[in-house]
Amino acid sequence: MSEVLGPQQRGMTIPSQAITSSFPLDSPSAVLGAPKVQVSHLAKAYGDNLVLRDVSLEVPSGSVTAMIGPSGAGKSTLLRCMNLLERPDAGTIQIGEHLIDVAKGIAPKNLAALRRSTGMVFQTFNLFPHMTVLRNISLPQQRVLGRSSSEADEISHRLLSRMGLHDKAGQYPNRCSGGQQQRIAIARALALDPEVMLFDEPTSALDPEVGAEVLDVMKELASEGMTMVVVTHEMSFAANVSDQLVVMAEGRIIERGDPKDIMRNPQHERTRKFLHAVMER
Amino acid sequence: MNVEILFAVLTGLPLTILITLTALGIGTLLAIPLLFGLRSTNRTVWFISRCFVDICRGIPPIVWLFVLFFGVSVGSARLSAFAAGVIGLGLVASGYLAEIFRGAVKAVHAGQWEAAHALGFPATSTWSQVIGPQVLRTALPGFTTYAIALLKDSSIVSILGVAEMVFTTSQLARSSDLGIFVYAVAAAVYIGLSVPLGVLSRSLDVKLRKAVA
Repeated sequence: MSEVLGPQQRGMTIPSQAITSSFPLDSPSAVLGAPKVQVSHLAKAYGDNLVLRDVSLEVPSGSVTAMIGPSGAGKSTLLRCMNLLERPDAGTIQIGEHLIDVAKGIAPKNLAALRRSTGMVFQTFNLFPHMTVLRNISLPQQRVLGRSSSEADEISHRLLSRMGLHDKAGQYPNRCSGGQQQRIAIARALALDPEVMLFDEPTSALDPEVGAEVLDVMKELASEGMTMVVVTHEMSFAANVSDQLVVMAEGRIIERGDPKDIMRNPQHERTRKFLHAVMER
Repeated sequence: MNVEILFAVLTGLPLTILITLTALGIGTLLAIPLLFGLRSTNRTVWFISRCFVDICRGIPPIVWLFVLFFGVSVGSARLSAFAAGVIGLGLVASGYLAEIFRGAVKAVHAGQWEAAHALGFPATSTWSQVIGPQVLRTALPGFTTYAIALLKDSSIVSILGVAEMVFTTSQLARSSDLGIFVYAVAAAVYIGLSVPLGVLSRSLDVKLRKAVA
């Protein structure tokens, strides 16, 4: 693995603290292409059910990878293995500089480092219902990064403003719409300056109009150079925003490459069948 | 006359409340480690906790009181009637409360754990900031129900001669010709305590639900 000098997040402005590098880059493309996420030979089984079979994947820094495929294909499991919410049975996971080899066991210190370098957005938002929106975003910064409460609140307010939700700071999550809650969840993850954002079907629990608000925020993040891995059923997002499309079925990556190429000319019969089914809807 | 009876019955009230609160305190303090024991992935820890809970709950309170009062001695010193009473009731409470807490932890949505883990919360913060507060809210109705039951169960300590409310009541009943009427007064006092407690718990529950769900 080659060392990457320079800012981890090309052009990232959320939050401004994210950039502390003193190595300015000539061009953003110098970073693009170096893998930010690298999983190798991941395997995972629930009893006899093989959910992941020898899956390997690279996500270049500053790029967006969309993962599609029929349900039960292992997309979410693969995503959840990247921050070890699921523990794979075998394989290695590398996020930025943090390498975890499942065979060698997972030390709590390495687990914490891996979690700190990834931000995750869930289908069901998973905001903390007993805390105000502001505290939802500030508390993790204090507990995980050790920021002072005033510093954390300042960052939270700035993120909320960027999400167009500055008036929601004092509300409880249940007073916010689904789309607002998901944007708050994105802000909560971004506040910890992750190197990679993982999205697990972020719009599946939302009606299409509200989902669009969330997709807009994600597009903006992508354009700012955030490295993103997105499990999604939103085909237009996959086609138009992602740099790499991954098609999974039965625990394997059956196709990966340029999203438009794959959608126009799928190589695998299973991909053809899946795309046909989703396009028909 | 009636007011005098009421006052006579009420002389046992402070001790009734003290027994209830002390036993509830002992039970809650024991229930917290038991909760973690019941959730432990270590089979030995789990098994010991499981046995402790089942023994505490499985033995009737009155048997606990006799065992502790007549059976336990430290050197030549025996447990006082009050100590045997609150420890016995506290042990029984710990078993029930551990199960109430365990159910409340299970009721916390799995996504809350996942969010805390994904954010990288240390285990202590996950419990104190994310899971704990939600457990308290969920456990509240069960906890109050148990507290009300304990308030009334505290009367069995009278059998060891502790002068709580039923003890003073039965003394009065025996030393006067008022008979059953004195017990009716005591019953009214118990109801006067438990009904407001129930109302308070329900209104608190509704308030918390509004704020959360």
